[in-house]
Amino acid sequence: MLLFVAALGSFGCRGVEYHQKQRFSNAIMLFDPDGSEVHFLQKTYYSREGSAGGIGSTAGGGCGCY
Amino acid sequence: MLLKSWPVTFALVLLASLTVLVPGSLFAWQEKNAEEVLESSQSPDFSSEAGHGSVSFGLNYYGNGDNGDGNPFLDETLTDLEPVIIFDYNVTDRFSINGTLSYDYVSSASIERLENLGHQSGATGDFYYGASLGGTYKLNPDLRIGGNLSFSTEYDYNSIGLGGFVARDLNNKNTTLKLNVNAFQDSIDIIRWNGIQNEGTDDRTTLSLTGNWYQIITPSTHSEFGISATHQTGFLETAYNFAVIEDPDEDMISTQWRLDQYVNGHIEQEELPDTRTRGSIFGRVRTSLSPATSVELGGRLYADSWGISSVTIEPRLYQWLIEDKLSARLRYRFYTQTAADDYSDHFNLVTPEFRTQDSDLGDFNANGAGLKFSWYFSKSLRFDLSGDYIQRSDGIDQVLGAVGFNWSF
Repeated sequence: MLLFVAALGSFGCRGVEYHQKQRFSNAIMLFDPDGSEVHFLQKTYYSREGSAGGIGSTAGGGCGCY
Repeated sequence: MLLKSWPVTFALVLLASLTVLVPGSLFAWQEKNAEEVLESSQSPDFSSEAGHGSVSFGLNYYGNGDNGDGNPFLDETLTDLEPVIIFDYNVTDRFSINGTLSYDYVSSASIERLENLGHQSGATGDFYYGASLGGTYKLNPDLRIGGNLSFSTEYDYNSIGLGGFVARDLNNKNTTLKLNVNAFQDSIDIIRWNGIQNEGTDDRTTLSLTGNWYQIITPSTHSEFGISATHQTGFLETAYNFAVIEDPDEDMISTQWRLDQYVNGHIEQEELPDTRTRGSIFGRVRTSLSPATSVELGGRLYADSWGISSVTIEPRLYQWLIEDKLSARLRYRFYTQTAADDYSDHFNLVTPEFRTQDSDLGDFNANGAGLKFSWYFSKSLRFDLSGDYIQRSDGIDQVLGAVGFNWSF
């Protein structure tokens, strides 16, 4: 895991120039463009799984669970 | 077995079909040049200019069956219909607001049977309202702070949440680090399994800290990773949950919530510890294989002080079916968790201090697959349609469906 993080860091330090980032504006490269879906899935996972939350979510609190 | 898992099989076959039948060569997709990228990246969200924003409306459906393999004494069949509205608006070039409004209509077998006891809300379903309002302020082009206030309520539950974050862009915006803090104060009316409410209300306090790291790795790959810690205190069990203590020397009872189940013994309320500490790490990496295809791999590891640990693995495929008009997303999700220390599907003779038969706190595996289509009427108007099927090893299989519109202005 540490090696993986270190590898990511080395990529990051090298840097991607602004004109090289064209693919990130493609709609199929956007993380979570649909807020309604994120809201719904996290609520579903929170309510139906003991570990409360999906990828990218916090775990716990404020739930009017099913 | 094959027949039972047909939705997952169908989705996997569909995924393979999309990959094979819809290559980028079906339409002449050209790499955009930098100027086109600048234009397209600014059009959908209009950057952060004052007066611009977006509104999303979604109608979500959730339903699960129950074949009795989980909690043998409770029919957990349930449906939920949820309209939700999400908006954001740039008040100035530096300050924006965002908000969420949601409403849930929940109908379940247990609610219908509780209604017969005369002590519940009297409705044939349960209602949930949620709202949140947040704001973000740019201190400078690379530093943002924000906060949010949330509120949710249903007939036996109220929650107030307060959150804040600080986010900093580094390394020529190839890296973003974000720290979130959230706190929730919940109030629960203690209505027990038999509909009796003579214990007043109790509280639950939650404090959560989450760190996120977004990283552009190469010109075609980006990622995000996170670590989260949460501590909860107060009333953490579900008030109306119960545990059946089986004893052959006691009278035969019916648990009423699964009418075909009769057992010798008695019923006790669920009891769980009043503190819980949770921790998780998660991450996902998405790479663009071509302008028409991208793939993502996500995962999450979780553990808590109640003895539950879980693993989530979620690969996704994104594919343009019609250039700039119609895209598809296919996802598979594997989830597995161990049981809480105090969980058992059968308690015999002895009533432990802590006890739960809530199947969501038991051990199970889940395999889910889903397909989503997004239709872009223009750069500012999108229609989404999605469906998922989740097959759980304890028989609580789930169906998810959603339709939604997103309008950027």
